[in-house]
Amino acid sequence: MTFEQIFINLLNGISFGVILFLLASGLTMVYGIMGIVNLAHGALYMVGAYVGWSVAIQHGFSYWMATLTGGIVAGFVGLVMERATLRYLYRQINEQVLVTIGFIYVLTNLTQWIWGPRPRAPFTAGMLSGTIQFWGCSYPIHRLTVILIGIVISIAIWWFQEKTRIGAMIQAGMDDKEMTMGLGINLNRISVILFFICSFVAGFAGVIGAQLLGATLGQGFHILGLALVVVIIGGTGSVGGALIGGLILGIFDSFINALVPQIGMWAMYLIAVIVLLVRPQGIMGGRMK
Amino acid sequence: MVATTLESSGRLQKKNIIRFAPILIIGIILFILPSFIPHYLVGLFTLTFIFAIFAMSLDIVLGYTGLLSIMHASFFGIAAYTAAVLMVKMGINSFWVGFPCGILIAGILAAIAGVVLLRVHGIYFLIASLCLGYMVYSITWGWDYLEMYQSKGIMGIDFPGIGIPGFTFTEVSYCRFSFLLFLLCFYLLYRFVNSPFGYSLRGIREDEERMQVLGYNTWFYKFAVFIIGALFAGVAGVLFAYCNTTVEPEHLGFSYSTYAILMVILGGSGTLFGPPIGAALLVFLEFYTGIVSPERWPLILGLILILTIMFSRGGIGLHLQRLWKKVLPS
Repeated sequence: MTFEQIFINLLNGISFGVILFLLASGLTMVYGIMGIVNLAHGALYMVGAYVGWSVAIQHGFSYWMATLTGGIVAGFVGLVMERATLRYLYRQINEQVLVTIGFIYVLTNLTQWIWGPRPRAPFTAGMLSGTIQFWGCSYPIHRLTVILIGIVISIAIWWFQEKTRIGAMIQAGMDDKEMTMGLGINLNRISVILFFICSFVAGFAGVIGAQLLGATLGQGFHILGLALVVVIIGGTGSVGGALIGGLILGIFDSFINALVPQIGMWAMYLIAVIVLLVRPQGIMGGRMK
Repeated sequence: MVATTLESSGRLQKKNIIRFAPILIIGIILFILPSFIPHYLVGLFTLTFIFAIFAMSLDIVLGYTGLLSIMHASFFGIAAYTAAVLMVKMGINSFWVGFPCGILIAGILAAIAGVVLLRVHGIYFLIASLCLGYMVYSITWGWDYLEMYQSKGIMGIDFPGIGIPGFTFTEVSYCRFSFLLFLLCFYLLYRFVNSPFGYSLRGIREDEERMQVLGYNTWFYKFAVFIIGALFAGVAGVLFAYCNTTVEPEHLGFSYSTYAILMVILGGSGTLFGPPIGAALLVFLEFYTGIVSPERWPLILGLILILTIMFSRGGIGLHLQRLWKKVLPS
C-alpha cells in the first residue's frame, strides 16, 4: 500500500465513519434518556435517503433542501412512532424492541410501495461533484463535505448538550431520571423533542450518506447492524463513544475492504464480538443495564 | 380410607382422560388428515409442524427465560445448511447422518455464541445477538462454497433416505413424519419446562438477582437453555431443509428470527402450546397473503407484530388458557 492509498482509505473510512456516528449518536441518546433501543433507526435513515432522492433528483430542488426535507420527514415518522406506540411501553425493553422491529418491516415495505424496488444511485449537489487535488492525489469533494458536515454536527451536538438549557436537562435525565423529574422538569416533553431530533439526524444522515451509498431498501437492516456495532464499541449513553466507535469502525471497514475484501462483509461484527469479550461495557464505559 | 383414595384416583384418571381427549382427537385427525387433503395443504401442514418446533425452541429461551435472542434463525439455518451440504455437496442422503449432524452444528454454534452473548445482560444481550446474527448471515452470504449455479443458496435437496428398505418419503408421509417429530419435541419440551430446571428458568426470568442470591448459577442456566433451544431449532432446520428443496441465506437471517419471535408472541410466550398456534396462523396467513399480494406481506407482518404487542401482549395462548380453565375448572 502506497502512502496515497493509505491516505485515501483513511479519508474514505472517516467519511463513512461520520455517517455511522450520526446514526449511532441518535441511537445512544435515545437509549440514554428514554431507555429505548430504537431498531427502526436504520429504517428512518432509509426513509430520509429516499425522500432526499425525490426532492433532489426527481423534483430538481437543491441538495441542501433535500437534506432538510429528508431529515424533517424522518423526524415526523419517528414522532408518530413514539407517540403512537413507544410512549406506552415505558421500561418494557423487549416490547419496545419488538415494536421497533415491526416498524422496520412497515417502513421498508411502505418505502418499497412508494418508490419501487429499484435502488437509487448515489447523488450529490452540483457544486460538490468533482474532485480536488492535493499532494498529488485527487479526492472527490463530496466525501470531504461529508467529513466537514460530521465535524459541524458533532460540534453542534456538543454545543447542544453542554451549552443549552434543554441539553442540560437531557444530561440530567440521562444521569438520574427520578431526581430530574423531581426538580419539576417535564422529562416527557424533553423526550419527545429528543426523539424528534434523533430521528431528524437519522434522516439527515440518510441524505448525507446517499452521496456515498445511494438509497436501497436493504439499508434499513444493513446500516442498523453497523450502527449497533458502533454502539457496542463506544458504549451506550455517550455521544463521545459513538464518535470514537464510528470513526474506528469506518476506518477499519475501509481498510479491510481494501486489503481483504473477502471478509469485508462480516469483519465489523467480529470487532463487536471482540469488544464484548474483552470489555463488555464498551470503550467509553457507559453504565451497564 | 382405601376406598376414598381409590375413588379419588379413579376420578383423577377420568379427569385426565377428559383433559387429554381433545388433544388426542386433534392428534389423530392431524395424523390421518394428510391423506385426504389437497397437495398444497399438505405442504402447509408440514411447514406448520416445522415452524411449530422452531417457535417452541425459541419459546423456552424467550418465553420461559426472558432472553430476547434475535439470532435464533442462525441455529435453524445452520442446521438446514448442514443437512443441505451433506446431501447435495457430499452425497450423503441418509437421515440418520444429516439429522444429528445438523443438530450438533447448531448446538456448537449456540455454545460459541452463548459464551460471547452471556457476558452482557438485558438490552446489550439483544443488540449483541442481533450483531452475531448479522455476522452468521454475512458469512453465509459471502462464502462461495455455499453457492450453486451463480446464485446464493443450495438447491436440489430431496427427501432423505431413512434406512428402511422399500420405504421412500412422499409429501404425505413426510408431513406425518414431521408431525411425529413435533409431538416428540413437544413432549420433551413439556417435560423440560416442568422439570426443576424449567422452574429455575422461570425464576431467572422473574428476578435474576434473587436467583443468584439463592445460590443458583444463573449463567449456567442461561447458557444451557440457549444451547437446548438451539438444538431444537436445529431439529426444525433439518426438517425444513429436506422439505423446502432449497436453503438460502435468508433462512438464517433477520427475517426468519423475526418470524419465530412473532410466532411466539402471537401464540403466547411462556406457554408451550401457544407458539405452535402462532406458527400455524403465520404459515397459513403468509400463504393466503401470497395469493392476493405477496409484496405487501412484510407490511402485514410488521403491523401484526406492532398490534400484538400493543393490544394483546399475552397472545392467543393466554385467551385459550382462560377458556380452557372455564371449560374445565379443576
